[in-house]
Amino acid sequence: MTVQSEALTAPGMANLTAMMRLRTVSPLVIVLAAILLALIVPPALFLIDVSLHETLPDGSFGAFTLRFYRALFSERLFVSSAVNTLLYAFGSAAIGIVIGTIQALIAERTNTPGRKLAFFAAVVSLGVPHILYVVAWLLLLGRSGPVNDLIQLVLHSPQGINVYSIWGMSLIEGVGFVPFTFLLMSAVLRAMDTSFEEAAIMAGASPLRAFWTVTLRMATPAVCALALLGFVRAFESFEVPALVGLAGNINVLTTTIYQAVHRTGMASYGEAGAYSICLVGIVALLLFWQNRLSRQAHKYQTITGKSFRPRILDLGPWRYLTAAVLTGLFLIVTIVPVAILAFTSLQPFYEGVSFEALGRSSLDNYRVLLGPGSFRDSIVNTLILGAATATFVVPFTALCAWLVVRRVPGAALLDHLATMPLVFPALILSVAFLDVFVNMPLPLYGTLISVIIASSVRYMPYGMRYAYSGALQIHPDLEAAATIAGAPRAALFRRIVMPLLTASLVSSWLVVFLLSVQVVALPLLLVGPGSEVMAVTLFELWQNGQVTELASMGVAWIALMTVVSTVFHLLTRHQQLAA
Amino acid sequence: MNAALALTRRLGAVLFAAAALTATGGIAASAENILLSHAPDRQQMILEGAQREGQVVLYSAAIVNQALRPLTDAFMKKYPSVKMTYWRGDTEEIIDKLSAEERANNIVADVAEGTGVGELAVKAGLAQPYYTPLVEAMPERYRDPNGLWTPTRLSYFSIAYNTKLVPPDQVPKSYDALLDPRWQGKLAWRFGTASGTPLFITAIRIARGDEKAAAYFQKLAAQKVINFGAGSARTLVDRVIAGEFPIALNIFAHHPLISKAKGAPVDSQLMDPVPSTAGTMVIPKGIRHPYAAILLADFILSREGQQILADADYFPTRSDVAPKDALASIIPQRAGVPELFLSPDLLNRYTESSEKIIEKLFQ
Repeated sequence: MTVQSEALTAPGMANLTAMMRLRTVSPLVIVLAAILLALIVPPALFLIDVSLHETLPDGSFGAFTLRFYRALFSERLFVSSAVNTLLYAFGSAAIGIVIGTIQALIAERTNTPGRKLAFFAAVVSLGVPHILYVVAWLLLLGRSGPVNDLIQLVLHSPQGINVYSIWGMSLIEGVGFVPFTFLLMSAVLRAMDTSFEEAAIMAGASPLRAFWTVTLRMATPAVCALALLGFVRAFESFEVPALVGLAGNINVLTTTIYQAVHRTGMASYGEAGAYSICLVGIVALLLFWQNRLSRQAHKYQTITGKSFRPRILDLGPWRYLTAAVLTGLFLIVTIVPVAILAFTSLQPFYEGVSFEALGRSSLDNYRVLLGPGSFRDSIVNTLILGAATATFVVPFTALCAWLVVRRVPGAALLDHLATMPLVFPALILSVAFLDVFVNMPLPLYGTLISVIIASSVRYMPYGMRYAYSGALQIHPDLEAAATIAGAPRAALFRRIVMPLLTASLVSSWLVVFLLSVQVVALPLLLVGPGSEVMAVTLFELWQNGQVTELASMGVAWIALMTVVSTVFHLLTRHQQLAA
Repeated sequence: MNAALALTRRLGAVLFAAAALTATGGIAASAENILLSHAPDRQQMILEGAQREGQVVLYSAAIVNQALRPLTDAFMKKYPSVKMTYWRGDTEEIIDKLSAEERANNIVADVAEGTGVGELAVKAGLAQPYYTPLVEAMPERYRDPNGLWTPTRLSYFSIAYNTKLVPPDQVPKSYDALLDPRWQGKLAWRFGTASGTPLFITAIRIARGDEKAAAYFQKLAAQKVINFGAGSARTLVDRVIAGEFPIALNIFAHHPLISKAKGAPVDSQLMDPVPSTAGTMVIPKGIRHPYAAILLADFILSREGQQILADADYFPTRSDVAPKDALASIIPQRAGVPELFLSPDLLNRYTESSEKIIEKLFQ
């Protein structure tokens, strides 16, 4: 790995890189890589095994075979599924990134009234368990949903919109991705020195042009990180393809492959394993490309030794337009799906939105919910799970990302390792971890700790992408100054890098927390009797419950997550200001 | 698993954390005598043994609040010195977990129960034979001649239809009526689980023979049945109530009745024959608490245990425990419609080939 000479522009940089290159591979990188390997290798080995061996009826591995890889590409629906998958991945990533970036620009860089609400909106949407989010959209846009009712009423046409299509899938997955984009983009924008924009405006560019040619360009690495995340997410996602796609006879790779899992009555993960191994390859390519991009890191380094204050653009009367845009997005991304869930939660059964239905409202579903069991027993375990996962993942990935961005020898490996779990499909990752823990000499099987380890692995890539985009912004001259002043590396990281990264890390912590508390498939197989977490209860309702009970659970859950996130936000705001 | 592979996998586990492996097992030898005992003092023996073991673990697919929790409370009230805990998962997950525990010789479950658990556990060689005198209260056709599983609860399958979208005189009353062109694109079924589409296909194949069934499936495929890909049969019924799909095939016949009682525009229609399955209970090989396991199995099959399941809207397998009155109307004998019981053995023989038919015609 070489440091390109063009990167050596800043004073001090040469010293720093020279110092780092003296040692071949830093022991710190070795330690971090060892931790990552220990976390990722066991489930990855299971994936490789399962894709290369016949699975016998008792779940053990039989003879070596390549037939799953062959089957993957010779599936009857492979070509159409692959095309659909690409369309869906591009569509959803584009929708998510465009909406989220617009939101972030308005919220961070303009004096639009009510812009602080955008943060709240993102957190509330992230708090909605994904499967419920999809259900809410289907209730809304489905054949009997209020949108189609309205279209029929206004246009007097029996033909409404058909949500069971590629655009429906992309829309639902894309809108679900908006909170991720918003949180990452706003963290990046917050930490961006605006002197370049100011220079552009002084040179006569309009504010819009300055945004377009300067701000957005400087945010390129963040957009790339998001594109990677959004793209791979769509490749791996299951809820939207299964609930929306299948009903419209649109197959994507995940649905085609998951169909193979239970084809024989017994679970067989061969094809799913082969698929995820192929995805590992694709992601490695994407990371390689992103890594090349970051060789020009100096172009994007916006946190320098100079003090700065993010420029807030005074939009004048236009600010009411941006307020309307923000409100509109808030409605679409958060309020409408949550409202439809809230409405459903009050119903004895869901039969569309109408005044007649409103008359049937009652709190019965909430009474079931607050009865013994469902909610109360698992809440403490769940909060421990989320907080422990986020608290481990965030500083760990921050350290890795910093080393990667500083091009410390060997650190690129850390990026690849920490991003790899993104392509392990949740369904098969849980089986892989089950296999790991049940065979482990330490008695961790069935404990909450095993779930924390598994969800740390699962959400490591999110932490990594958030920290990476943040770390890329930090100009090395600050660190060089500290190094010259004799600060040891640990102090350097703790006292300089971490505080500068705060905005990204806070977003990252929240995202990892909110994701790990609602993930369903992973903890289900890992927890033992008596150590249930919330999501398992939610999953049981999903499997056996009625939609209305599920909705009440969802609403209570969203309320709780909103409280947790708000408290967290209030606690960290003080620190962010200090930083 | 070959030796090199075993080594790699073991290395993986060692990477994770290095410590010594503690061996388990040892009681398996006597477990057989306990589980198959016909001795006159059987009751006394298992009770004393269970008290010594002090605990028992149930893996079940039954609903927690209405079934597993009251079952556990009642069991521990009756046998205060045996601590019972449970883990709830779907059938496929129960089997995944059980087989992983079995392979690692780290068996946590003592008893496993759920629709489909019996056939899958037998197929995977996870179950060991056991005897309980309580099966004698069950009709012969619901019992396993090999003694590997016992039936805990029954399920009946039918179509669900939206009463606002399907006028009373048009409700399809037979499988052939589903082929009426007016239902094209209006039928939905639950895709991707063994108790969904394959069960429907298997039932038709057994009822009509493979040749006639194949002709029927060709025509059914022309109806463009909607594949409902995620979520349970229960949530599919909810979509019928919402008016999203006018008719759903192969759902649990009692689910529409529960919603109908609340005023929802939905009903179920039995068709000749009515497929039925049993929730089944197995005792895995190598369990740690054989006395307590057989004590719990006895309890679940007793009048008391079956009554708890009946109260949770399940259909008991004992003839002397009645299901809820509101649900009784869909029991095939009472409705005067022939029942087709799909035993675990039958499902094991048919499911794989039924899946192939689905893959070919309906995907």
